Amino acid sequence: MNRVTILFLALVSIGFIIATFDVRSEGDGVGDVLREGTQSVFTPFQKAVDWVTTPVVGFVDGVSNLAGLRDENDRLSERVRELEAQVRATDALEEQVTQLELINGLEVQGELATVTARLYSGGVSPFDNARFIDKGANDGIVVGQAVIDEDGLVGRVDLVSANDARIRLITDPLVSIGVRVQSSNETGIASGRGDGPLRLEMFRANEAVYEGDLVVTDGSRFPPGLVVGTVSTTADAEVGFVLRSSIEPAANLSEVDYVRVIVGFTPVDLSPGDSEVSSVTSTTSTTTTSSTTTTVPSEDS
Amino acid sequence: MRRSRIVVAIIAVAIAIVLQTTVFGAGRIEPFGVAPALVTLVIIAVAPYVEPEVTILLGFTAGILMDLIGSGTLGLWAMALTVVAFISSRVGHRYADSIVLSLLAAFVLTLIGQLVYVILGTLFGQETAGEPNVVAKILLPAVWNVVLAYPVFWLMRVVFRPRDRSFVQ
Repeated sequence: MNRVTILFLALVSIGFIIATFDVRSEGDGVGDVLREGTQSVFTPFQKAVDWVTTPVVGFVDGVSNLAGLRDENDRLSERVRELEAQVRATDALEEQVTQLELINGLEVQGELATVTARLYSGGVSPFDNARFIDKGANDGIVVGQAVIDEDGLVGRVDLVSANDARIRLITDPLVSIGVRVQSSNETGIASGRGDGPLRLEMFRANEAVYEGDLVVTDGSRFPPGLVVGTVSTTADAEVGFVLRSSIEPAANLSEVDYVRVIVGFTPVDLSPGDSEVSSVTSTTSTTTTSSTTTTVPSEDS
Repeated sequence: MRRSRIVVAIIAVAIAIVLQTTVFGAGRIEPFGVAPALVTLVIIAVAPYVEPEVTILLGFTAGILMDLIGSGTLGLWAMALTVVAFISSRVGHRYADSIVLSLLAAFVLTLIGQLVYVILGTLFGQETAGEPNVVAKILLPAVWNVVLAYPVFWLMRVVFRPRDRSFVQ
């Protein structure tokens, strides 16, 4: 066996040991420190390249989509008109609900404080469900917070440094979310499969889920009511069996540029492999951000 | 072996990692939803110009950096790119001067790298083999690397052999 082969086998063995160690330590400890250090070295270069290339990439993207832009524009104009009408109706209803809550002595839940962040770096491979954002601990971001965009839940904060954070998308196989099907109020767990629709497992199998049903977070780990997606396959109730279906995520995860991190709901720090529905303690927290100060009531309230 | 070659090779890999996570990152240049595997391509392109030991160490280092920046298990890309680097170091002299063989090497070695990662990912509980678009995620980076192979191989040739820039067809 020559020197090159020995070196090759030695490095593969080291890789194997590192991987085993990382799996056993569930991504914590030395691994986390090394990840943070490496990311902090690369971040300035990534931000610089992102700043330089964003207009070029946007231009190329725009030119390649030029043919469909007019139709898309017409469709979106129509959609904006519809949504404006809906917003007016919703505003009126919201006002009524607030007044009724006050009349009945119920605590009015305030808006959750959020921090808007920009994605400046994606994953290193198609199998990687991590994204990096340009806000970190200095902006009130901590590990475990929910990340959303205008359509719904995008992921959770996974690693935080002073000015940057890594988010793990909801499609990551290591992410599980406690969810509720809005039409039936039944709860279950949604978990990522690496790509595409999420896997949905309901806690009770005797209530069917139907295609198109809206699925939201159940409040066990993330704030309640965040849109996760819609059920993409109808699953009939079968007593004694586990009810499984799938969820089409509401957020278009491949097109996300800006996100909002919900800093007004401080979760317990869990490792990436932990399910969000396990041993959850929700607390009342007051969070101050650059824009708002909001008191988030605990789930018990 | 001149030390400058090793430094240049390391810089090339670092640039590839930055470009991989920005220009070819999510939502950017990702034809059919999958980006090229630029880091793998750079390892393949550098292999003919540095010693085999350096290529293998470079593959391992590049892989570890990818693991550290990514969200997967540490060591998986390190092993996958070490395998790619090992094969590249063995056959690099064969494809160095031929454009056709370079394109073929870019395709086959990228495919091997992606495949090894999927197998290792599955063994270490990443569920990579069970992902819905796993075939596209293995195959498309290899195809896009063929598209990028000519400029990347040419660039490496210019950097490592400034007096001999042309490929033998």
